[in-house]
Amino acid sequence: MKIVRCASWICALAVLLMAGAVTVARADAPPSASTAELKDALAKAPTTSTLANGDPGGALTGTVNDVPVSDAKAGLTLGDTANQVGQNKIAINFTWTLITGFLVMFMQAGFAMVEAGLCRVKNANHTYMMNFFVYACGLFAYWIIGFAIQMGGAAGNGNLGGLQPLSGEFPVTLFGHTWGLFGRSGMFLAGHTYDVGVMVIFLFQMVFMDTALTIVTGAAAERWKFMTFAISSVLMGAFTYPIFANWAWGGGWLSQLGANLGLGKGYCDFAGSGVVHAVGGLTALAVAMVIGPRIGKFNRDGSANAIIGHDISAVLIGCFILAFGWFGFNPGSTLGASGAGCLRIGSIAVNTMLAGCTGTFGALLYMWVLKGKPDASMSGNGLLAGLVAITAPSGFVNTAGSAIIGFVAGLLVCLSVSFIENSLKVDDPVGAISVHGTCGLWGVLSVGLFADGTSNYGGSWNGVTGSVTGLFYGDASQLVAQIVGIATLVGFVFTFSFVLNWVLDIVFGQRVSAATEVAGLDLPEMGQLGYPEFVLRPEPDYLQVAEQAAVA
Amino acid sequence: MAATKSQGSAFTLFMVGITTAAAGIAYFSTGTGKLALLVGLVVLAWSLFMAFKIKPLEGRIAAGAQPAVMKLVGIIVVLIGWMIVVGGLFVTSSVGGRFTTTIIGFAVSLVGVLYILPAAVNKNAIWKA
Repeated sequence: MKIVRCASWICALAVLLMAGAVTVARADAPPSASTAELKDALAKAPTTSTLANGDPGGALTGTVNDVPVSDAKAGLTLGDTANQVGQNKIAINFTWTLITGFLVMFMQAGFAMVEAGLCRVKNANHTYMMNFFVYACGLFAYWIIGFAIQMGGAAGNGNLGGLQPLSGEFPVTLFGHTWGLFGRSGMFLAGHTYDVGVMVIFLFQMVFMDTALTIVTGAAAERWKFMTFAISSVLMGAFTYPIFANWAWGGGWLSQLGANLGLGKGYCDFAGSGVVHAVGGLTALAVAMVIGPRIGKFNRDGSANAIIGHDISAVLIGCFILAFGWFGFNPGSTLGASGAGCLRIGSIAVNTMLAGCTGTFGALLYMWVLKGKPDASMSGNGLLAGLVAITAPSGFVNTAGSAIIGFVAGLLVCLSVSFIENSLKVDDPVGAISVHGTCGLWGVLSVGLFADGTSNYGGSWNGVTGSVTGLFYGDASQLVAQIVGIATLVGFVFTFSFVLNWVLDIVFGQRVSAATEVAGLDLPEMGQLGYPEFVLRPEPDYLQVAEQAAVA
Repeated sequence: MAATKSQGSAFTLFMVGITTAAAGIAYFSTGTGKLALLVGLVVLAWSLFMAFKIKPLEGRIAAGAQPAVMKLVGIIVVLIGWMIVVGGLFVTSSVGGRFTTTIIGFAVSLVGVLYILPAAVNKNAIWKA
């Protein structure tokens, strides 16, 4: 027993001696290179008196002295420096995302000018007001519930700090796989979603959502009852848009097609040809069908009359404002400028402007060669068509691909306008269904064709390792994922919008009275003319239909 | 008649109702949340009733009646097409097979969108009269 006790004491003493030796050795060791470098940098940093003399060259401002120290006693540590580097990355990405979001917000002004310019002067105030008020309607609806449905389960974005409070995706299990259906975190941005990163993603996603909403006002212009427009917009911002956006961007089932079924990288829509533009365009088609054509648009034999807009200068300036805002739309969709492949923002911006350019060429040449004149409004729509089409593929394609995508969109918009008007007999005063619906779907499809496999946003997309690659670069399964997205846009979004607006028509009535429509909506609906000092010229006979003749 | 005070009141009630109902959903786990949802739904129903009541006073519109059955048929066809697309993803695991079912489903949906529904909404169009 004594021997055991003695041995125990000897062992304990040995352990103590070893620990002491290690401690002494550590204390005697020279500081690591990084610590020494930090001290050296501190010693070389300009003093307060040096800085007081001014820094015209900018070489002295922004030094090691500007790195916050977490423990004053310990001084600057490597941990402090690393934390500052991390915060700088997030700060760069926050700033980038917010500023590009502000650019997208300004697109509302462009939409207002394009839509109002393409409408008659007697409806100018009403059209501008729809574009103005849709911003408030959409924003409010998105704040109370829409954002939660769309992004409430979208945690995991490293560019914006992780967004961990958004972890409430509602899943279903089907055929052995888990599929996201809608998010649940973030209603009113309250509780744990009162978070700096969540606020940034809210602002950015909100302005995208409002873009989709304002597309609809163009297709239903000159006959949409203001009250019903407002309610329809609130419901679209609360439900229609967020549901599809969740499926594509919020961790929903379309984005999981790659991880669950091996279809490419899942449905890929970089900045929203499908999520924003096709949702807006297809909802516009649904509303235009429910609401019916304007008085005088179609003759008894079904042929269409041209109803000319009142201000082509507003239209073209509006198009330029939209093109400017698109530099927020597409490059901003990296959600950052630092890390995870975000340096591709330059490529995305060039793709954007190039597709707009070739879209303009496509539409202008089509009109000039086949109709005899380089039509201004169709040229403007060509620019927008190219921009809409490149929105989904902008982050995945090269410049040749973007030029082709834009040019095809420019041709497509001309053909689509004619088809919708002459074959479907649907009246779309501004061409919104063609620009945003048709070309939005083309943009989604083009990802599955032209994605060149060179993008690398952190090494994976939608949880699948590798780069998005289309059919022409070797991955046919990506094309299938894109067509599933297109079919969902047509099959679900259009149907949902049609039923919703049909119900609104039954309860509220979608359309103003025939008397109001003939008189113009400015005075009866808004109480004020858009241009009160203008003398209105009489319209052509076919647009002068008396109320009795117009009503069935 | 065009925009009126009654319309403004109905819209205000609608906004109050949807906001209260949303707050109720957000805090549904609490007693106050359940109450808010109930109150919100009641206010929403009230706004719908109010709007429905004033609708006939707003004048006749320049649009013919759209046959409901035909519209329903169109909607169902569009939805069937989408179901074929979604269901087809689980019928086969080959890319070619999924491509085929997706295209078939999409084509069915297009029949609804481009043929049945336009025919329905234009059946009694005023420009035909």
